[in-house]
This record gives sequence, structure tokens and C-alpha cells, in this order.
Amino acid sequence: MAQHTLEVIVENSPGVLARVAGLFSRRAYNIERLSVGPTDNPETSKMDIVVNLEGHALEQVIAQLDKLINVIAIKEIVPNSAQPIVHDTQPDYQN
Amino acid sequence: MSQMNGASSLVASLEAAGVDVMFGIPGGAILPAYDPIFSSSIRHILVRHEQGAGHAATGYAQVTGRVGVCIATSGPGATNLVTPLADAAMDSVPVVAITGQVPSVAIGTDAFQEADIRGITMPFAKHNYLITDPADIPRAIAEAFHIASTGRPGPVLVDIAKDALQKMTEFAYPTSVSLKGYKPKLAPDAQSITDAADLITQSSKPVFYVGGGVIKADASRELMELAQLLGAPVVTTLMARGAFPDSHPLNLGMPGMHGTVAAVTALQKADLLITLGARFDDRVTGKLSTFAVNAKVIHADVDPAEIGKNRFADVAVLGDLKHSIAALIPALKFALAKNRPDLTAWLRQVNSLKATYPLGYAMPTDGSLAPQYVIERLGKISGPETIFAAGVGQHQMWASQFVSYENPRTWLNSGGLGTMGYAVPAAMGAKVGAPDTTVWAIDGDGCFQMTNQELTTCALNNIPIKVAIINNESLGMVRQWQTLFYEGRYSNTSLESKRIPNFPMLAEAMGCVGLSCERPEDVDATIEKAMNINDQPVVVDFRVARDAMVWPLVAAGASNDDIMIARETAPDWDSQEL
Ligand SMILES: Cc1ncc(C[n+]2csc(CCOP(=O)(O)OP(=O)(O)O)c2C)c(N)n1
Ligand SMILES: [Mg+2]
Repeated sequence: MAQHTLEVIVENSPGVLARVAGLFSRRAYNIERLSVGPTDNPETSKMDIVVNLEGHALEQVIAQLDKLINVIAIKEIVPNSAQPIVHDTQPDYQN
Repeated sequence: MSQMNGASSLVASLEAAGVDVMFGIPGGAILPAYDPIFSSSIRHILVRHEQGAGHAATGYAQVTGRVGVCIATSGPGATNLVTPLADAAMDSVPVVAITGQVPSVAIGTDAFQEADIRGITMPFAKHNYLITDPADIPRAIAEAFHIASTGRPGPVLVDIAKDALQKMTEFAYPTSVSLKGYKPKLAPDAQSITDAADLITQSSKPVFYVGGGVIKADASRELMELAQLLGAPVVTTLMARGAFPDSHPLNLGMPGMHGTVAAVTALQKADLLITLGARFDDRVTGKLSTFAVNAKVIHADVDPAEIGKNRFADVAVLGDLKHSIAALIPALKFALAKNRPDLTAWLRQVNSLKATYPLGYAMPTDGSLAPQYVIERLGKISGPETIFAAGVGQHQMWASQFVSYENPRTWLNSGGLGTMGYAVPAAMGAKVGAPDTTVWAIDGDGCFQMTNQELTTCALNNIPIKVAIINNESLGMVRQWQTLFYEGRYSNTSLESKRIPNFPMLAEAMGCVGLSCERPEDVDATIEKAMNINDQPVVVDFRVARDAMVWPLVAAGASNDDIMIARETAPDWDSQEL
């Protein structure tokens, strides 16, 4: 079982916690820990999610999370690494 | 900007979004909106059940490519939309649902007709909104239409508290929509296209695995060019029937649980799947670990989460399929000019399978009607421009198998959710979207009894659809499984009678013409009679043999290698060069 830590920037809209929690439950991803806090921008919040993955690829979890309209950006926090890995399957394509 | 109440702002927003028709039923919480609807240019079709409104919006969207709209009140009105919205989500159909909600002060108090429809639809809706401030209505509507119709299409629900509809507000429809967390990718990366083209030139057994995404992206013409360029066989999934003409020599038909031997086997034996807008659904792959084990995979899709979900993709082409296929054509031309693989042996193999194992059926020897024959004649007599909408069950599979689909958006069905009751309301929506086209619902006797009340809607609103009931007096598909996997113990699958209900009388009661047919020699004349009635909906009760089965069959959870062409009969693999 592999543990991953994700830092997820979400729009500060009602229901966003339910969306994220619901996604994890519906797709049978195990949340180890989840905390929500403010960011410098009052329009966004930051979720720190520790997820235990068995049989699910991390990319799949991230891709499904990123499909939520209210999810703006996802970073994977890798231990012992100064720079988090930024995952964004929907970067700012202007086409 | 102008002053108006939230309800008028909602209707003005829907008009600004380009809505020309919506399907719905009023009630307390949504009532303020029905006042401006009364004088709006938008045609509102009053359905008989909200499920019908949702499927009608879906049928309309599938035929026109535009967003379908349904509207309902709070509580039971909204929960009745759950099935069609889940259906639209599974089949990626752009639908916007508007629901009234109890007044904002009452939310959370278990007020009369309160249901948390935003929470209920959260697991499957592409997105949803709960609006309590009338100032938010235009933006929410603009975003809902944008989200529903772009990227991978899907249903979006906008739930609006009654007081937000009543309060005064300024109306200004946004000129553009920008969402921080939603920017679907249109054009694929150039590298992915080159990689895909290179992989194709290294393949000697490629198959185009075509899914419903090709139809959603209106990419049939591009697909035709690409397929002809490579000259590789094509399979069209249940959601993709019509994306590539059935009459084309490269088309092997439908893959999957009830697919053709040629389509199923071509995927199994391929060394490359050129996957276009398909999602490796279990009904296509069978047992995943044994699916196309020797194949590399190119996976082109607009939804990043489909890549690698069920099957690893060697090359992912992320983008709108119309752009992606259009980009692949010149890249492949260039790559093929340097290195053109020889597909002759492969084509000989798949064509041999196609010739040896065509779809077929036995005519009953007792003079009763073969359901497949009825459906085959419907397709032939009605012609390739006709739109068909099927229910769910055996008749659905036969409608996919025995009608030749030549054009995209002519085959509608509930593929992902498998919703009994889809056909009649979806056909209604389709006919509204394409009033000059013949629309046939091919429905089961079981399915028909779930949503036939929309025929009243059709009769009263000049929506002359045609319905063929494939009346086998049973929940045939479930019965077939009982025959094959439960030793013929027919627990609760018999509908007991071909006469109760009396479908032609029921049709007449709803303002339709009711016909019936039970002899093979009467089929053509009955269909022609129905074809000649264009000012009223027509229902034909085809009383067919009860025990017909759908073949081929890959049992649920079994490997596609174990496809059966009849009971306990596998294809004769030894005689095939594979
Ligand atoms: C709403 C719903 N309930 C139950 C089922 C399970 N189911 C799948 S096919 C089927 C039988 C459909 O019977 P009918 O409409 O007569 O079609 P037939 O298979 O006889 O052609 C049933 C009950 C379903 N798909 N949808
Ligand atoms: Mg039946």
C-alpha cells in the first residue's frame, strides 16, 4: 500500500469538500487524512489529502480529482524533496 | 442590464444560451419560473413524468448535438430526474437540468418537497449548482451550458431556491465563461500525434476501436478519411453505431458482449488498438486481463481520466477527437510514405471471420414471428436516414445488430446505464430535434411499460414518433440469462401475456394509432402502414416468439476468447487462420 500526499487548491465554493470526499468514496480510494484550510486568496482553499493507494494508480486519482470543476491545481508532496511535483492534466491550454 | 425577478432572469438566460425547447413539469418551488416561460419564445413541452423530460432532453441532444434542457420542481420532481441524468452522465450527453428548490431559509429543515438534489446528483453530474442569490443565475446558466457542451459532454444541474426566483435582480448574461478549474483541451500535442502515427506504421494487425466520442465530436468524416488511409478494420461500439457506415467493407460491426465474431476476435488478435473516443468498458473488453493481450494501445480521448483507467495506453492523444483525427491524417500520410505496413494477411483473416460468422438468426418453425426479422425489416423499409431509439434488453441488442447504421446520430440508446424506459421519451426528444426525420423507437414490452405515458405528450404536442414494441411477453434479456446461467428457473421474468396490457388499445387511449402484427407475412405491410401515418404517433405491437436469444454472447466476466455463437457453440477456430 503506497501513501501519497496531495495538496489540492480548490475554489472556495459550497459543497466542494463534499465533492472531493464523495469522489474518493465513490471510486474506492482510501483517504488517510484530509484537512482544509484557507489560502492567501479568499476565493480558494487548500486541501491536504493523504491517500492510501492499493490497486489504483496515483495518476488516475489525480485525473479524476482534476475533473472536478472546482479543483484548480494539484501538487504531489514528495517526502525529502524540496519541490513538490505539480500535476495538472488540464493546464492552461489556450486553444 | 435590466431589472427583473430571478425567474425572468432565468428564462432570459436560457434564451441567451440559445435554448429553443425544454421538457418539464411545474410545481411549487419552480412555479415562479413557469410564469415567464408562459410568454417566452422557448417551446416548453409538458411531459407526463420528469424521467421522460430527462430522456427527452437526452434524445434531443444526441440527435442535434446541442444541449438538451429539462426542468422540474423540487423534491420528487427533482428526484425523478436522477435516472435520466445518471443516464446522460454514463453516455456523455450534454444536458442541463433546472430544478426549483425550497426557499433558502427552509433549506436544511426537511421542508415540504425538499430534497438535496445537488447532493444526490453530485456523484455523477459533470457539475451542479445550488443558487440562492438571484444575481448568480445568469452566470450559473452560462457556465452550465459551457460545461455541459464542451470537453467530454455531460449533465449539469442548476438547482435554484424559490426565493431566488422571486427576488428582483439585475439581468446581464455573461459574454464569456472562464473557469479556473476547467479548461478542456481541444488540440492534441504534436508529439502525441507523431508517436501515434509511428506506432501505426509498426503494426501489422491494427484495429480502429471506435467509441461514442467520435459521434460526440462530430468526427465521422475525419474517421472515414483516416480509416481509408490506413485501410485497417473498424469496430463500432454500442455507443458508436453509425459513426462509421455499416455498409463499409472495413466495418466489422460491434464488439463486446453481443458483438460480432469478427469484431470481438479482431480486437483480441490485434497488435494495435487505435482507440478513438472509447473507454474500455467491461461490456466491450470482457475479462480485462485477457482482453487484446498482444495489442499496444493508442488512446485518443478528450477526457484525461479515461487514459489508463482500465487499460494502459502506449500513446495517449489528449484532445477533441475532431482535432486529433484531423491532425493524425497528415501525420500518418507522412509516416506511411516512409513505411507502409502490409495489412493484407490481417484483412484476409478478419474478412474470413466476417464472412464465416455473419450475424444471423433462426426463423421459428411454428410460424411465429422472429424478433430479429421484425427489426431487420424495420431497418430496411425505413432506410438509413431514420433515427432509431432503443430500450434496454434483447430488442436493444437486436436493434444494434440487425439495423444497418450508415450515419452518425441515427442510433440512440442507453449504453452505459442500461436504462429501461429510455426509448419512448428519447424518441420524443429526437423527433423534436429532428422533426422532418422518421423516428422509430424499438422498445421491449417490459421497457415500454416504464415510460409509455410520454406517448400522450407526443400525441398532444404533434410529435409523431413511431414505436415498435418487440412483445415477447417477458423481460427477455434477464430470461435469457436465466436460461443460460440459472438452469431455466424463470424467477419473475415472465410478463405472462402478449395481450395484457393490450398495447394497441393503450396506444389508442393515449391518442396514438395502435397496430399489431403477429405473422411474418404481415410484417412489411404493417411497417409500411405505420410509415404512412405522419400526423399521429403510431405504436405497433409486434407479438414475437418468446424464446429467441441474442447471439453471439460473451458471458459476463468471461474472456472474449470464449465467445459463443449459439448455445454451447464456439466458433470453429481450427478452421481459421489467426
Ligand atoms: C430500470 C431498469 N430496471 C431493470 C433492468 C434490468 N433489465 C435489463 S434488460 C431487462 C428486461 C427488459 O425487458 P423488455 O423491455 O421486455 O426487453 P427484452 O429483453 O424482452 O427485449 C431488465 C429487467 C434495467 N436494465 N433497467
Ligand atoms: Mg420483452
